[in-house]
Amino acid sequence: EAKSSSVTSSQIFHSNGGEMEPETMEIKSVSEYFTKMHIGSLMSRQ
Amino acid sequence: MDTGGSVVSTRAEEQSFHVRYRMEVSCLELALEGERLCKVGDYKAGVSFFEAAIQVGTEDLQVLSAIYSQLGNAYFHLHDYAKALEFHRHDLTLTRTIGDLVGEAKASGNLGNTLKVLGRFDEAVVCCQRHLDIARDMNDKVGQARALYNFGNVYHAKGKSICWSGAEPGDFPEDVMMALRKAAEYYEANLAIVKELGDRAAQGRTYGNLGNTHYLLGNFCKAVASHEQRLLIAKEFGDRSAERRAYCNLGNAYIFLGEFEVAAEHYKKTLQLARQLKDRAVEAQACYSLGNTYTLLQDYERAIDYHLKHLIIAQDLNDRIGEGRACWSLGNAYTALGNHDQAMHFAEKHLEICRETGDRSGELTARM
Repeated sequence: EAKSSSVTSSQIFHSNGGEMEPETMEIKSVSEYFTKMHIGSLMSRQ
Repeated sequence: MDTGGSVVSTRAEEQSFHVRYRMEVSCLELALEGERLCKVGDYKAGVSFFEAAIQVGTEDLQVLSAIYSQLGNAYFHLHDYAKALEFHRHDLTLTRTIGDLVGEAKASGNLGNTLKVLGRFDEAVVCCQRHLDIARDMNDKVGQARALYNFGNVYHAKGKSICWSGAEPGDFPEDVMMALRKAAEYYEANLAIVKELGDRAAQGRTYGNLGNTHYLLGNFCKAVASHEQRLLIAKEFGDRSAERRAYCNLGNAYIFLGEFEVAAEHYKKTLQLARQLKDRAVEAQACYSLGNTYTLLQDYERAIDYHLKHLIIAQDLNDRIGEGRACWSLGNAYTALGNHDQAMHFAEKHLEICRETGDRSGELTARM
């Protein structure tokens, strides 16, 4: 979509209402899961 | 007694176990490599490994959930939101099937973020609510804070999507203002928790987005206060990208407070950081903002200097729209200085670019 180059005053100073912070995505890690499993199995052996 | 038959059957079981064991190991190795690649930011290669891991398969549904989730996140970072949606959906279905509530909360959060980017705000709200409900049921404060931040982002994006072009901050239709007020409420609720938890990084993100929300609501003093906090936290972490964002957002707010000199100082910091970070597009934007600020200050010589800098970068980046804007601004600045030859030159360049890009309204402005 072509944006107009004849910009309004608000468009002059910012792109799309200010610069946003990044989204926070939830992480599910395979390595962490196995570390927990390993610790869990060691604990159950004791 | 038929001992031969049981020996054959035991061997077949052993073989089958061996094949399944090899598959599990192979799937795990592929997934771990995918995880490592995504951690260093190579999402494209990460996707290949995760997809190969799925092809091999696993009987461990927690591993499968982690693979789906990371594939969804990798596609999210690659801006392939349709694929991100597909894998976060798979993850949500799986976690619900196996009754993994913590996993379901995470899948809901990721799905909500993806739906938000796709502009499907009502569905995103449902996901955020599920994320929040599970976190509350489990008395998980971190999860609650994250869900509230996502909620704020959904309402912020919803507000901006309804009516954006042309209107000034604080002067949007009521439904836009309502969505933005809701966003501010969620950000405040998030802040209450992350402050209690002492999570400075999370506070920084929320202050940044809260500042932008206040800015759009026309609460420019509150926007400045939030962005100042964001700046402080960015400096604590040595996060120069966040610092640059805060300076730029502060510059925007000071413009609307009529404090043009202060705005210019903030844009200069933005420019300095953009150069350090070697971000040419942001450097161009900072030059453009500085050019416009000096126009407001009626310092046309400096305005021209920055607009020319903007023009050069726009040409380097092959950004015809940016180039058109620079030419339009230069035409105006030269007119203000009474240099009609240069003004005409840039007005003609502007008209030429508008014709090329099919910008009808720009073309009409240029003809005037």
